[in-house]
Amino acid sequence: MTDQAYICDDSVSCPITATDSVTDSCRDFREKLEFLSEYTAWLWGCGATCIRIDKNLTRMSRAFGIEVDVTVMPRHVELYAHSPQGNAEMPVVIRQASRCGINFTINTLLSRLSWEVADGKLDYDQAVRRFHEIISTPRTAPNEVWLLASMANAAFCRLFGGDLIAIAVVFVSTLAGFKLKQIMAAHKRDARVIFLCCAFVSSMLCAGAHFFHWGTTPEIALGTSVLYLIPGVPYINAVSDLIASRYLCAFSRFVDALVLTACLSVGLCAGMYLLGLRVI
Amino acid sequence: MIALTILKILEDGFLAAIAAIGFSSISNTPRRAYLCCGITAAVGHALRYILMSPDILGMNIIWASTIAAFVIGIVGVLLAPTVKCPAEVCLAPALLPMIPGMYAYRTVAALIGCLSAHGEADFDHYIYLLNYNGLTCLFIIIGMVVAVNIPVFMLKHIAFRATR
Repeated sequence: MTDQAYICDDSVSCPITATDSVTDSCRDFREKLEFLSEYTAWLWGCGATCIRIDKNLTRMSRAFGIEVDVTVMPRHVELYAHSPQGNAEMPVVIRQASRCGINFTINTLLSRLSWEVADGKLDYDQAVRRFHEIISTPRTAPNEVWLLASMANAAFCRLFGGDLIAIAVVFVSTLAGFKLKQIMAAHKRDARVIFLCCAFVSSMLCAGAHFFHWGTTPEIALGTSVLYLIPGVPYINAVSDLIASRYLCAFSRFVDALVLTACLSVGLCAGMYLLGLRVI
Repeated sequence: MIALTILKILEDGFLAAIAAIGFSSISNTPRRAYLCCGITAAVGHALRYILMSPDILGMNIIWASTIAAFVIGIVGVLLAPTVKCPAEVCLAPALLPMIPGMYAYRTVAALIGCLSAHGEADFDHYIYLLNYNGLTCLFIIIGMVVAVNIPVFMLKHIAFRATR
């Protein structure tokens, strides 16, 4: 499915009775609905929880004078609109979820946008312009993330009781694995393949240290080497959706996270198996 | 002795903060929230250290992680409005340093052991390790992710107004 909204033709989709005097408001209604669906698709794509999507969307749609219900599916969102005139027909807009990946900056800015609209600080046209600015926000510089993630994993190693050599090995293996992740992501490779390959590279480097008996805690280095790949946000969001009774989304996120965890485990296993390590 | 314990608690909190800031950058967290993530992680992880330390409370890792995650949830929700970010921005990176990485690793290692075991006794030993580490890891994660979400729903009026 392409990234576009599917909406019925005017006579069906617009709940406002089609007389000449209401043609503009009908178009206005459709535009707003399409905008709201795009907003929802981006919120879902950037990793917002279902309860946040629901609250933000309700807040903003009410400010536009539209009542909407939303169904968040694993790969797309569906918006059902009620017109202010109370017509029985409910136009539906379906939009594919954005594939922007977990992005807390966009999540934050989109949430703020909903409040700005609800508080009357932005009208519809300003909100649309602001929305397009938000979704164009550049990500954190790749080199900054690369370095910070490697430092984080090295700190992780120390937390688990690794010695200085283990910390250094984990730092280097994360540098290598994370760089590979960035390169493969830039080439739009499948996330599962990325996780498998990165886990394999990082674990191979740490397994090498274990193989040559570097330091006193090589098994801690090996155990920590792939933790930068753990999909923590989808796991947490899955439970949030579960508590909010959004079982379908919860299950979808959970399975996504589980598959990625399985991929990184296979990468780790392959790295250890290849060097013939039996470390417990 | 007390000074050494305090030093260890501070070291634990400091390392957790570095880990949380690093992991938050992967999720493209706004820079102004880095400190918030670091503080939340430091409080949670240091608390878990205190709860688990045999010299202090000696609590089981599953319960200690669950309690620490609940505190992370509360701190994250309360700090979120100060940086005008959703609470989740602080929670996920702060929780990551508590992931039972070594249990997960030992589970995988035990699985490899099972696949390459020679004889029943060898296999049984690795199955035992697989179950023990796998179940511990699973329940730590369940306890953490459930506990960290509860404050978000308890304090809805703060959590969902943080970006206003």
